[in-house]
Amino acid sequence: MASPIRILTAVPICDGHDSAINTINLEFIRHGIEVIYLGYHRSVGDIVRAAIQEDVRAIGISSYNGGHIEFFAEVVGHLRKRGANDIKVFGGGGGTITHEDAVAMKRKGVDNIFFAGTSLEEMTDYVRKHYGRPRAKRSRPKSPDQELAHKLTAIEDAYARGRRPTSNVQRVTLSKKVRDSSKRRVIGFTGPGGAGKTTLIDELVLRFLNQNSKGRIAILSHDPSVIGEGALLGDRATMINSQNDRVFMRSMATRGQAGGLSPATHHCLALLARSGFDYVVIETVGTGQEAMPFQKNGIVSQTVLVMNPDYGSRLQLQKIAMLDLADVVVVNKSDLQRARTAHTEIEQRLEQNRRNQRLIDTVAKRHRDPGVDELFELISPSEL
Amino acid sequence: MSKLGQVVESVDKYNRFVLDQVKHARTDREFGRDLLGRWNDIKAKIPITRTPTGIPLPRLALPEIDEPGEIARYLFGEGLPGEFPYLNGVYREMYLEPIREIESLEKNGHAQNGKSAKKIAPAEEPTRLFSGLMLAEDTNERFHFLTAHQRTHRLSTAFDGVTLYGLDSDADGVFGKIGEGGVAIDTVEDMIRLYDGFDLGSPNFSASMTISGPAPIIMAMYIAAAKRRFGPSVLPKLRGTIQADIFKEVQAQNETIFPIEPSLRFLTDMVEFTTREMPRWYPISISGYHIGEAGSTPVQQAAYTLSNGFAYAEMFAARGIPVDQFGPRLSFFLDCGLDAEYIALARVSRRIWAIGMRDVFGAGPKAQLYKLHIQTSGRSLIAAEFKNNLTRTAAELVLAYMNATNSCHSNSADEPFTTPSEEWIRLAAHGQAILLEESGMFKHTMNMLSGSPGMKAVERAVEAAILDEFREIERLGGVLAAVEERYQRSQIQNAAHRYEQQIYDGTRTIIALNKYRNDGDDIPEVKLVRTPRKKQQLQVDRLTKFKKKNAGKSERALDKLAANVESGKNCFPALLDAVEVCSLGQITGRLQEVVGRFRPMV
Repeated sequence: MASPIRILTAVPICDGHDSAINTINLEFIRHGIEVIYLGYHRSVGDIVRAAIQEDVRAIGISSYNGGHIEFFAEVVGHLRKRGANDIKVFGGGGGTITHEDAVAMKRKGVDNIFFAGTSLEEMTDYVRKHYGRPRAKRSRPKSPDQELAHKLTAIEDAYARGRRPTSNVQRVTLSKKVRDSSKRRVIGFTGPGGAGKTTLIDELVLRFLNQNSKGRIAILSHDPSVIGEGALLGDRATMINSQNDRVFMRSMATRGQAGGLSPATHHCLALLARSGFDYVVIETVGTGQEAMPFQKNGIVSQTVLVMNPDYGSRLQLQKIAMLDLADVVVVNKSDLQRARTAHTEIEQRLEQNRRNQRLIDTVAKRHRDPGVDELFELISPSEL
Repeated sequence: MSKLGQVVESVDKYNRFVLDQVKHARTDREFGRDLLGRWNDIKAKIPITRTPTGIPLPRLALPEIDEPGEIARYLFGEGLPGEFPYLNGVYREMYLEPIREIESLEKNGHAQNGKSAKKIAPAEEPTRLFSGLMLAEDTNERFHFLTAHQRTHRLSTAFDGVTLYGLDSDADGVFGKIGEGGVAIDTVEDMIRLYDGFDLGSPNFSASMTISGPAPIIMAMYIAAAKRRFGPSVLPKLRGTIQADIFKEVQAQNETIFPIEPSLRFLTDMVEFTTREMPRWYPISISGYHIGEAGSTPVQQAAYTLSNGFAYAEMFAARGIPVDQFGPRLSFFLDCGLDAEYIALARVSRRIWAIGMRDVFGAGPKAQLYKLHIQTSGRSLIAAEFKNNLTRTAAELVLAYMNATNSCHSNSADEPFTTPSEEWIRLAAHGQAILLEESGMFKHTMNMLSGSPGMKAVERAVEAAILDEFREIERLGGVLAAVEERYQRSQIQNAAHRYEQQIYDGTRTIIALNKYRNDGDDIPEVKLVRTPRKKQQLQVDRLTKFKKKNAGKSERALDKLAANVESGKNCFPALLDAVEVCSLGQITGRLQEVVGRFRPMV
């Protein structure tokens, strides 16, 4: 089976009209498309960078606040400048984009503009028809990020076809030496859905970027999907600090695999780990009690389990496998009433292991949270 | 329990009190007689007006009841216009036209001559038209056009997206959006140009500014501009409104630039300053409009607006601002669409607000008033056969004035296509004038269309539904907790989805869209107002000049501001200094370094 179509959707900068795009995203997903949603109030730079890193087939832009002719043209221009001509651009804006505007926009390289009254089916059909065909032979990547993105796509596609990745992708498989040297900086984040993993990672990224003026970080983020169906890959929408040239982020759908990761994850992670990043962060989907996502992996050097204070009864803690395995356990949302109890109970649970696991309380949503600072110290390479 | 829970209890308690009074009036003969006497007094004192065709009408219409229990139900349950609990209006006469002839009932139709007729100062026109386009001078010109024939100058300002997000016009990738959908404001100098030629300290002038995320910064610019033009003594005379509603931004409109808690802190700093120094200014407009436009049901709109209002009141009171200082300076803004709930949505809101403010917050009469601006629904307007939008807006206007709104904006029929053009704005303004000045619907008699059995039925249903929403929010831990859990946001999105579904499956009729559709007729092109590139470049050039001129001073002002924010003091005075030498984007940027950026909820 071929890979699902991957597209990126966004609302332009200074525009908060997200109700149309929310509806359209859901419709795309229902029809087997993987949608990387970047959110509203997004700059051209953020959109183009994300599209290249995610290596999507097309960008869909929903614009209701004017300035669309310039904005769309700038997106197309930046894509071309960065050698990403194969990423197409389409969009709409209800009544705010006139037919005359649309003509001007198409002249500047936009594929299509949907007008008010276009049905959702029409849009979905368009995307499937125009962006669903297998890619032509790819042109030479113009930047290391683009090259990396192409390789990740090749890995994902190979797994989707049920094959092991071939030729150049195979070379990604690591020698033991590389693996050891990379071991220091691959950090796995896992935990139940809604615990705040994404926000926490984004806050760590902010600290990394502030502390280190040149370093680069890679993020491999996962959202669940069923084989042959679509997925909403929405982490970027809330990861405001990670939309940065020094962050390479890739969103993956699990494509039917249980346990929090995708069939292609191991290969993708291996590739990222030897691509010169100071950190590689991998985030699983929200996991269940039995999940041990990094167990067989061998690449992840440090694992962080992010918990919500509301895990249910104390007995539940005995069943969470990751509590035995994680190097660091984070109780996020520690401003909630239940958090103190949670801290005590988890602390006792960790003591059974006698493994010197660390337990940290954080409020990731809070700016400059001291708990997040502590976690950052703990995962900094110099500390290891 | 948060104050919201107490509000629910206070309304329940008040409703029981009304029922008790009804029973009491029926069983206690003396009380009954008193009430009847009071009722007859009220009726006797109502002035009589004459329509142009010559029939006499009372300036206040009351139900035809003479049974003490029903009188009690009316007086306690609804209140006369201008009396607690204000169901029928916050003021006695609202926008009745000045009296032509006054007679007392006893004189029975004999007109008295000129000099005995009591003169009542003409009220302000309730028409307030929203406008903003291109650069400050272009919007200024539009303001002068709109107010050319008005006694009072009530300006309502729309800002472009760049300004709404607290950015400068030279920010990366915003060039095409400069002056689109609203006016571009970067500096205090733009603010001076924006209201040039208007006397900001005059009692006949008021400015409304529709901006929330960076509202304290824009407010500071307005004050700085007014001071530069009229001297520092103008401060207490400034009249107007700034939207500054953070909760609704997070719940519906997405124009939030700082995380919620610092946003609320900056707001409280501003409210503390303005309610003390500028007693005629409304520093917040608690807005359901955008909640409605984002697709909420009318009940959700009213419930979230009220509960947000109570949450703000709780916050301001916690800061130590006296309720009778901030209470009278709160104002509200609702959407008015075509659904049945709109017949009484604002009426019910007014009543709940008054009861809650009085009984939970201990507010005096002036701090109990739910002072309201209504705008007709933009979402109800559609592009297909767009001239039908005139009819939609007209019907919404009738509903808005039936609710005794304090002021109103009527949308232009061309709004589905972006910034309205002068032709359609004129028609929208005339729509209001026809209703208020030409027709006899609202100018002769208060309560002209109030109190029908249908309206009462809607009132009961809407009030119960709003209180249910309050209980749910309370259960989640109050407004802030519910916002952080995305409760309101999800509810609104759900309702929006249902609305679209109903249009799609035809259970909600939209003429010319899913019924009586004129197939083959393409959507008409209307002439759009777009900001020319040259103007956009001019704005950027001006900003560059401003930054260059103040290069030596801006860093220091920003450092001082940042230190102020860190210290936890009221940072509004530092903001007033900063806007003298810093642009909007510079200030936003520095504040974000200190308090962080808003993380969108998806």
